[in-house]
Amino acid sequence: MAEPVNVVLVDDHALVRAGVRASLTDAVCVVGEAADVDQAVAVVHDTRPAVVLLDVHLPGGAGGGGAEVITRCLDLRETTRFLALSVSDAAEDVVSVIRVGARGYVTKAIDGPALTGAVVRVAGGDAVFSPRLAGFVLDAFGTSGGDVATTDDELDRLTAREREVMRLIARGYTYRETASELFISVKTVETHVSAVLRKLQLSNRNELTRWAADRRLL
Amino acid sequence: MTSVSVRPALLRPVRGRRIGGVAAGLAAHLGWRVGWVRLGFMVLVLAGGVGAFLYVFWWVTVPTGNPYDPEPTRPAAAVRLARRQPLFTASSGRRLPVTDIGVGLVLVAGAGLVVVHRVGAGVQVGWVLVAVLVVGGLGLAWSQLDAVQRRQMSQVAGGRTPGSVLAVAGGVLLAGAGGLLLVGQVSGRDLAPAMIVQSVVVALAILAGVGLALAPWWLRLVRELGDERVAREREAQRADIAAHLHDSVLQTLALIRTRSGDPVEVARMARAQERELREWLYADRPSPGESLAAAVRAVVAEVEDSRVGLDGQPVAVDVVVVGDTVPDDGADALLAATREALVNAVTHGRAPVSLYLEVRDDALEVFVRDRGGGFDVDQVPGDRFGVRESIVGRVRRRGGTASVTSSPERGTEIHVVMPTAPRTGENSG
Repeated sequence: MAEPVNVVLVDDHALVRAGVRASLTDAVCVVGEAADVDQAVAVVHDTRPAVVLLDVHLPGGAGGGGAEVITRCLDLRETTRFLALSVSDAAEDVVSVIRVGARGYVTKAIDGPALTGAVVRVAGGDAVFSPRLAGFVLDAFGTSGGDVATTDDELDRLTAREREVMRLIARGYTYRETASELFISVKTVETHVSAVLRKLQLSNRNELTRWAADRRLL
Repeated sequence: MTSVSVRPALLRPVRGRRIGGVAAGLAAHLGWRVGWVRLGFMVLVLAGGVGAFLYVFWWVTVPTGNPYDPEPTRPAAAVRLARRQPLFTASSGRRLPVTDIGVGLVLVAGAGLVVVHRVGAGVQVGWVLVAVLVVGGLGLAWSQLDAVQRRQMSQVAGGRTPGSVLAVAGGVLLAGAGGLLLVGQVSGRDLAPAMIVQSVVVALAILAGVGLALAPWWLRLVRELGDERVAREREAQRADIAAHLHDSVLQTLALIRTRSGDPVEVARMARAQERELREWLYADRPSPGESLAAAVRAVVAEVEDSRVGLDGQPVAVDVVVVGDTVPDDGADALLAATREALVNAVTHGRAPVSLYLEVRDDALEVFVRDRGGGFDVDQVPGDRFGVRESIVGRVRRRGGTASVTSSPERGTEIHVVMPTAPRTGENSG
C-alpha cells in the first residue's frame, strides 16, 4: 500500500477530529472533515474518499445520525466504505450503523496505528471488528454448541469456524494472532469476519430481532 | 382488654368484602367471625332498619385499607425517597369513595321511603323503581372514580379495562332507561310508544349538539393534560441526570483540577469516572447479586482503581461479556480467580489487558490476557505464587479448570472454565 488511503473525518467535536487526525499515520490522508449529517453527505459526495470515519451520534439531517449519512450515500456504495468510530458502548448504536452498511466499528479508545490499520483494512474491502463488536455478535447469534450453520450461505447462524474467530477477537486477539492461533492465513480470517458482517447485516434471525428489541432497537 | 394496642385498625379490606367491606373490617377489628357480624347486621336491618343505617354510616366514614397491615395505604407521596416510581400512581393517595357514597345514598333513600310509607303518605311503587334505576345507573358509572378500582385500572395502559367500559355503558343504559320511565310517568300514564321514541331522538340530538360544542374544549383539556404529564416526566428525568452529574462528574472534575500535577492520579480518576458514566448511561443497572456481568465489571473497576502497571501508570482493562446469569458459588470462585488473574496481568504484564467472559448453558468461561513479556509457567518465582494457588487451586476445588499460556511474543493468557450447576461427584479435574 504505497498510496495513502483518502479519508473523510465526520465528528461533531472539532477536538475529536483534531485528535484522530493527529493520531493517523502516513498511510492515511485526510481529505475532508464534516461536523453534521448534511455537511458529511456533501463532503463525501465532493471528495469521494475510500473510507469515511463516521461518528454514530451526529446532529443535523433528519436526526438519524451516522446511519443517516450512510443511507444518504448509498449511491457511492461501490467506491466509499464506512467505518464507525464511536465513544458509545450501546448495542443499538453499534448495530444500527452496521445494519445500514458500515464495514466495521471501532471505539475512540483505539490507538493511532491500530486505527490506521483498521482504515487500510476497510479500504481493502475487509471488515473491522472490535472485541466489543465480536462480543455483540456472539451475544446475538448465541454461543451454545449445537446451533451451528453447516453451509456458508445460511444467514441466521454462524459456522463453527466463524464462531471461533469471533471468540478470539472478543478475547482481544488481532487478526494476525487469530490466524496463527487457528493455523489459518490472515486472509482466511478476513474472509470469515466479512462473512459474519454480512450475516449481521442481512440476517432475520429471531434471536437477533429479540436481542435488538431487548435493547430497544428496530 | 390488654390487647388494645395490637388490635387491627378499623379499615374496610379490599379483599373478602361482600358489599362495602364493613362487616369484614369490623370482624377483623373486633376479632369476631365475619359470619356472625354479617348475621348481626341482617338481624338489625330486619329490626327496623337500624342495621342498614349503621352499615351505611361505617361505609362512608371508615376508610379502605388492609386492617392487618395499614402501612401500604399511606399515600406514596409521604414515603421518603420513593425513587423510580411511575408518575401518577403517587397521587392516588387522595381518594373519594364515590361508590360507597352512591350505594349509601340508595340505602338512605330506601330507609327514608320506608319511613315515609310508615307515616302514611302514599308512595307509588313505579316511582321508587324509577328512582332506583336512575341512582343505580349513576352510581355504576361514577364508580369509575373509586380509589380501589382506579388503582387496579391504572395497571392497564390508559386506565381502560373491559370492566370499566362495561360499568360505564351499563350505568348510562340504566340511567337512561330510568330517565325515560320518569318522563313517561310525569307526562301521564298512557304515553304512546311513538312519542317516547321521538322524545328519545330529540334528547339524543340535544346531547349530541352539546357534546359537539364542548368537544374542542374537552380535547384541549386532554391534550394539555398529556403535555403536562410528558413535561413532568422529562423534568423528573432531567433532575435525575443532573443529580448524577453533580454527584459524580462535577466532583471528579474538581478533584482533577486540584490534583493536576499528578498525572497518574488524574488518569486514574478520569478512567474511573468514564467507567462509572458508561455504566450509568449504557447498562440497564441490574440489581446487585443478580448479574454476573455486573459483578465482573465491579471486579475490574476495583483492580483498575487499586493497581498500577510496571511503569506506574494505571492500566485500562477491555471487558467483553457475552450472556449473563445469576452468580452462584462456582461463579464466586470464578470471580475471585478472575480478580487474581487481572491483578497479575495489570501489575506484571503490559497493556492492553483484555477480559472476556462467556456465559454458556453448561459452563462459564473467562480469558484474561495481557501483552507482557510472559513467563515460564513451570518456573514460577515466589512472588508469582498467586497464579498457581489462588487461581488454579481455587478453581479446581470448585470443579473447574484453569490454565496459563505464556510466551514472550504473545503475552500471557489465563483461561478459566467453571461448569455451571456443579455436581458434587465430579471433583476429579
